Amino acid sequence: MPIGRDLSRRGLIGTGLAGVGLLALGGCGGGEKPARPQRGGSIRVATQAASTADTLDPAKGAMATDYTRHFMLYNGLTCIEDESLVPRPSLARAFESADRITWHFDLQRGVRFHDGAELTARDVVFSLLRHKDPAVGSKMAAIARQFAEVRADGRYGVILRLTGANADLPTILAQSHFLIVRAGQPAPDGTGTGAFTLAEFQPGVRTVALRNPDYWIPGRPRLERVELIAIPDEVGRVNALLSGDVQLCNAINPRSTRRVEADPGYAVMATPSSLFTDLIMRQDQLPSGNPDFVQAIKLMIDRPLVKRALFRNYATIANDQPIAPFQPYFNPDVPQTVLDLDKARWHVRRAGLTGVRMPIFAATAAVGAVDLASILQEYGSKVGLDFAVNRVPADGYWSTHWMRHPLTFGNCNPRPTADLIFSLFFQSSAEWNESGWRNERFDRLLVEARGEADEARRGELYGEMQRIVHDKCGVAIPVFISLVDGHDRRLKGLRPIPLGAFMGYRFAEYAWWDG
Amino acid sequence: MSGKIAQTLRTLPISGRIGLGLVLFWLAVALAGPSLAPYPVGAFVDRDVFSGASARFWLGSDYLGRDVLSRLLWGSRYTVLLALGAALLAVATGTSLALVAAVRGGWTDEIISRTMDTLISIPSKIFALVLVAAFGSSLSLLLLIAAFTYVPGNFRIARALAMNLVALDFVQVARARGERAFHIALREVLPNMIHPLLADMGLRFVFVVLLLSGLSFLGLGVQPPHADLGSLVRENISGITEGALAIIAPALAIATLTVGANLLIDALKPGAKG
Amino acid sequence: MAGAASHRSTLGNIAPLIARRALSSLLTLFLVSVVIFTVSGLLPGDAAQEALGQSATREQVIALRHEMGLDRPAPVRYMDWLGSIARGDPGMSYVANMPVSRIISDRLPNTLTLAGITAVVSVILALAIGVGSAVNRGGKLDSMLNVVTLSLVAMPEFLIATLGVMIFSVKLLWLPSIALVTPDASWSETLRSYALPVFSLTCVVVAQMARMTRAAVADQLDRPYVEMARLKGVPFSRIVLFHVMPNAVGPVVNAMALSLSYLMGGAIIVETIFNFPGLASLMVNAVTSRDMPLLQSCAMIFCATYLALMLVADVIAILANPRLRA
Repeated sequence: MPIGRDLSRRGLIGTGLAGVGLLALGGCGGGEKPARPQRGGSIRVATQAASTADTLDPAKGAMATDYTRHFMLYNGLTCIEDESLVPRPSLARAFESADRITWHFDLQRGVRFHDGAELTARDVVFSLLRHKDPAVGSKMAAIARQFAEVRADGRYGVILRLTGANADLPTILAQSHFLIVRAGQPAPDGTGTGAFTLAEFQPGVRTVALRNPDYWIPGRPRLERVELIAIPDEVGRVNALLSGDVQLCNAINPRSTRRVEADPGYAVMATPSSLFTDLIMRQDQLPSGNPDFVQAIKLMIDRPLVKRALFRNYATIANDQPIAPFQPYFNPDVPQTVLDLDKARWHVRRAGLTGVRMPIFAATAAVGAVDLASILQEYGSKVGLDFAVNRVPADGYWSTHWMRHPLTFGNCNPRPTADLIFSLFFQSSAEWNESGWRNERFDRLLVEARGEADEARRGELYGEMQRIVHDKCGVAIPVFISLVDGHDRRLKGLRPIPLGAFMGYRFAEYAWWDG
Repeated sequence: MSGKIAQTLRTLPISGRIGLGLVLFWLAVALAGPSLAPYPVGAFVDRDVFSGASARFWLGSDYLGRDVLSRLLWGSRYTVLLALGAALLAVATGTSLALVAAVRGGWTDEIISRTMDTLISIPSKIFALVLVAAFGSSLSLLLLIAAFTYVPGNFRIARALAMNLVALDFVQVARARGERAFHIALREVLPNMIHPLLADMGLRFVFVVLLLSGLSFLGLGVQPPHADLGSLVRENISGITEGALAIIAPALAIATLTVGANLLIDALKPGAKG
Repeated sequence: MAGAASHRSTLGNIAPLIARRALSSLLTLFLVSVVIFTVSGLLPGDAAQEALGQSATREQVIALRHEMGLDRPAPVRYMDWLGSIARGDPGMSYVANMPVSRIISDRLPNTLTLAGITAVVSVILALAIGVGSAVNRGGKLDSMLNVVTLSLVAMPEFLIATLGVMIFSVKLLWLPSIALVTPDASWSETLRSYALPVFSLTCVVVAQMARMTRAAVADQLDRPYVEMARLKGVPFSRIVLFHVMPNAVGPVVNAMALSLSYLMGGAIIVETIFNFPGLASLMVNAVTSRDMPLLQSCAMIFCATYLALMLVADVIAILANPRLRA
């Protein structure tokens, strides 16, 4: 287990983390430095979507463009900067908790916002509490319900009391939504403590950020200027990369990787991630609620085909539960479900569903869902299930179709902890309990694991929960989808962090230009 | 009647015959094609993707390893029939409205004309996006959207034609005879504008084919596993650098279909030369 | 003296035409706003839900709805909007927290520049192709141009744009693959960024315009007066320029106006592929985010452009053709 887990197990991150804090000051991250990083360079970065809803408010971030922009302008109390996903100190130079309920954060001294004001506990309290205000429209409102009390403890101390024990709080606070903004601003305007200052922001068009010369971590950032745009068309994005108009872009179709790599000046960076698109079988409706039906579906998914044909092997075979093999707490003892059409046919017959016509709702809003539906339809016809693929527009999919029909597709972004993914998507009472399943034992284990101090015991609990989801839950997860970025080879210092594209959206702080 | 057709055929210039041939070919494919398809339209038959032509897959395989030929045969049915249906519907609606407007005149004309202006000035693809988001994607909705989009264009032309005719003596005579407006429109005006209207319908047909391919770019189209020709081009666009048959074949199909229709229309226009 | 009189009568014809058109334009604009409001009311979800996205909680949606004023009945909201647009204020965007006028003023110049350049290029090209092939009708040049325009018509727009990028940006590295429209860019940079979008849009609209021009000009060339003029020894170029064109101009400008109105709202595919910050993609954005004030404003602009183009076409037709002036 990585060091951080060990530390959080002790529940005390005081002296032990002072060293890590120093590491952060000295340019932490343990990034390999094959060539000597240098300062300078102006790059343009393209993501796959931007709109007039683009925001400078971290709480409202909804897309890769937002997360990347926010991580350039603001800092969080903690940060995650390598594939171990261990939270490191950032604006909080140390954090500790004896019972994992009440947490104490000690802030860095002398950190200044872009406007010159010093960062104090007031800013942190303000930034954390705004998530509880429904008018802010925070994407983390559900998580922020756990915040029972947030208050300042002197000029540089913050005390955060939770409603229940949660050992993962430092990881939660490393997400872009919890970045620290300037107290008192009704709507954050880009004035943060981050490595870049805002030069231009046009929602849906571009963001230009310039190196913050007074950044509180010496030596960072190295890039002089980063321009962030969006090119919604995938072919257009790859073309822009290959013609030198952008130096970095995300969401490259696995089918385009050969094209990028054919040119010696460009490379792809694949990040194995726990992103998945799942088939949701509502348990409170029929026929999807029939356990035989659920079993049949899980047995008739040709996972190798999905991996090969849809994702050109930029994917990891999944086992109908949300923890990927490369993630902490993955349970390798859960038997892998494989394609077995005879067994599937037997289940279909037992459910009495042979020949019954069933619509599947799919939209491109969930990556690969339409093609997955086509595959299901094809294999369904082999086991006696008659699926009608209903492709609906991506626009409005989440509010009108997702979870509203017996069979729909969901899409789940990588989450930094097992607790987050389980409590957001699998707890009975969760708002996005996609299949509407109920499992009391699972719910009990979830709460127990969240507050569990003993790391080995915690692993056992999460292991059992994976087995329960695999056996009983009404979602089928065929594969975990890798994130594929493309970049100019002169852009150095990039490495995959499984939380998202662009090093978990934080590349700007680490990357440098070798031109 | 058949004699007249044969007569027209004989006088058709080379380009017109080519056009006629292409149009008939695609009509035949649309009607009979699917029954000739070697594989089911959604079957994953090739382990490789974007493979070239082979004895098993005459036109290679697509981005998921499905047979391009089978998908093309099905796709042309959707494209040809949708476009034909939409063009017919658009011309029928547009012309009927134009006749009413021309014969009635006054406020009726004003209201219909303004309504048509309204429809034409809303960008059609965006309107399509809205309608599909509101009502869900279905064949009948696609048909309606395509027809809707081209009603105003046909209306403008038909109204101009009808207005000229209404001012002519024989219509005035009919009016003086006390014929009802409906009768005048149907018996006196319509027969005299059939020719240009047919040409216009051909043009609308071509437009609808292209509109459908534009809509496929925006993710609107026939339900999977089926796809119209435009969607076939679109879904295989990542094969463009390899020059995959999966993208060339449907693009060629669209090209031959639209060029054929255009050539035929040109040749059928009264007084057309060359 | 006679010239002055005809001048006055021309103006006398045009002024009431413009006045009448202005009135009926208001009616059309009103109808468009009603259609947009009604249709967008049918869309699933509202601005509050779309803004909060997949992760919305119930109380957040209610709070945001209240803040946006979406909890008022639809007719009230519409009358509200109508009242403020009548005073010339398009209102606040629901989503971007900015006045709609500011969002639009950021993008309108881009769209107008793109449409303007494309219009100039495509009109010149269309006239050249159309007149060229009409004059040579039946000849080699005619059939060659016919093949060129036909094959342009026959290609889906997104394929033309994508192929253009592959050739000129990726292969040859001549032109940028995305339109980087910045206010501080130099003239040559701006022109380079516009090159491919203009190229793609020109391919889309030029064929139709050229074919209409050819038809109209050819129609006039077959008239007896052309033969007469030739027999009189008037140079052919003079005949085309001063006798044929004025008579052919009516249908030609009409077709051109129709095609050009496409350049505003119809540029959505080109805007998407080239990442061009224009009005069409803004309108699509407004649809997906259910941003009613923004959506309405875009629709109003597209509608007004269309009506204005039609009016200009009619005025040109009248001015150019002496017979229509009577």
